[in-house]
Amino acid sequence: GVLAHLEALEARAHALALRQEAAEQHEEELAGLRAKAQELRLRRDRLRAQVELQQQQLLGNEGVAPSAEPDAAQRSARAVLEWKTRSVQDLLQLFYLTGLSGKRTKHGACFCLSTAYEGTYLGCFYVDVTVRPQVRIRRHSVPAFIPLQQLAARHLPADLKRFLSVLSDHLNAYVGRRYQADQLQERFSSHLGGTVQRNSLCNVLAFSYNTSGRSESFPFSARLLYGDPCRSLPTEAVVLC
Amino acid sequence: MDEIVAEYIRRTVLKIPRHEIKTMLQTWGFLSEAQLQTVNFHQTKDSVSREVVQLCKDNSADIKQAALLDIIYNHVYPNKRIWSVYQMNKSGEETDFFDLRDFKKKFKRRLQTALKNVTINFKEYEDNAIWIRIAWGTPYKKPNQYKTSYVVYHSQTPYVFISASVIRSTLPLLCQALVVASNYHDIREMELRSHCLNSLKDIVFKRYSQTFQTYYPRPLQERNVTSENVDLRIIQENKNEKERILRVNREVFGDGPQPKLEFAQYKLETTFKSNPSLDVSDIKEPFRCLVKFSSPHLLESLKSLAPAGLADAPLSPLLTCIPQKARNYFKIRERKGIFPGSFVSP
Repeated sequence: GVLAHLEALEARAHALALRQEAAEQHEEELAGLRAKAQELRLRRDRLRAQVELQQQQLLGNEGVAPSAEPDAAQRSARAVLEWKTRSVQDLLQLFYLTGLSGKRTKHGACFCLSTAYEGTYLGCFYVDVTVRPQVRIRRHSVPAFIPLQQLAARHLPADLKRFLSVLSDHLNAYVGRRYQADQLQERFSSHLGGTVQRNSLCNVLAFSYNTSGRSESFPFSARLLYGDPCRSLPTEAVVLC
Repeated sequence: MDEIVAEYIRRTVLKIPRHEIKTMLQTWGFLSEAQLQTVNFHQTKDSVSREVVQLCKDNSADIKQAALLDIIYNHVYPNKRIWSVYQMNKSGEETDFFDLRDFKKKFKRRLQTALKNVTINFKEYEDNAIWIRIAWGTPYKKPNQYKTSYVVYHSQTPYVFISASVIRSTLPLLCQALVVASNYHDIREMELRSHCLNSLKDIVFKRYSQTFQTYYPRPLQERNVTSENVDLRIIQENKNEKERILRVNREVFGDGPQPKLEFAQYKLETTFKSNPSLDVSDIKEPFRCLVKFSSPHLLESLKSLAPAGLADAPLSPLLTCIPQKARNYFKIRERKGIFPGSFVSP
């Protein structure tokens, strides 16, 4: 009846009050934690500023006291470092331009053989060697038609310098021949009938051509043989008409 | 025109995807442009193939032309077959000029003296690849054009890529002919197999990206420094470890795309090593076990293992040495390390 209804309402009000209390408590806790977090952040920022200050002082080699002086010292130190870095980079670039450069590795060394033909740089090949117990090739990026294994068998482990020099000759010659064939194809395409036939090492070239560049017929057929693998000029030329 | 040739051409055309048929026929060059115009390439492949065969009959195609079309199809879709890599050896240092005509003549002569009923066709491509197609017969039967082997050889390299036919007995004959034709002494099978021919070429010709330690500043790819959390209050606890993993991974696998291999197989012949308290350590026989990793792209998935947190970096050298050792079949024996395959001389 009415009494039961009133009791129910009372219970509900009670529960609501409890919940409100709990919510308020929760809010208070949250606010308290937020304040704490803020405080900690401020503290961290302060400590960070202190650490930076100390670092600056160490660099500037001054005593206590902040302000502009360690900045200037820092700036000049930085300028010196930049200059040093630039000159080292230039030196390394110079080494690269000579055609043979290297870097020590934990196994031995890694050599970079850069190739060029008549002033145009044409890419580089790497040879990674170990030195213990003997000089041996570990990895490389030399193409398969260069007789790397034969050269290694002949010159290593005794004479690394000789090996690198001969390999560099082979690579430069191959790259030179390839470049010449590409240039022939590109710049004289009107004189050529079809494409220049070549093999992997580019040491046999065959093509048909005419002298005028304008006519449709290609009466001459040429076959160039490059007998020396270390040279980029042909040793034999056969021209048929 | 021979009925066998007609049927062969028809079946080859049926293999080609519909939108590619016209381009492939143009590459083939046997049918003139005018003839190709008369074919409706939008109808069903069945009808297209019949029209093409009719045109071929008008032009009197022979088996040589049909074989050429087959080579072109396999050149464009080499990944339908599985390729093995073979390495040839020669002593002596004469750099030969590699005369293509000489090679073809010697190859044909060697094969045909051993087995009269073979069809041999060659096609050279721009990248110095020579494709050879061989259809095998027996001493009493004409060559079966559907049982073919394909060989891809780059001149002046010791490597040959062979997709053998189902008739296993023809393989030694093929190897012998290759060795004789290219002036080498012997040939052995490398333990390297895959569907992707170009990846196999990348591995043996060292065309994939390797990292070499060098001072010369290579242009480093600018890595996106987009951090997902701009909130400076969140600190990555494992940042150093993550960077180390990425760096080690990069050193091992390089920056570029990896060659595509589908599987790596390790055959273990080691004795069982266990806790001494278990009583099995006195078994002296090797515990034979075969571990096979397979994936649509094995090396890429190995590369992503460490950054994904699924494995420790650096990965086991047994996994990372695959492109460098140019093999994906390994036999692991007790203590002596990895045992390479043996030489096979003809």
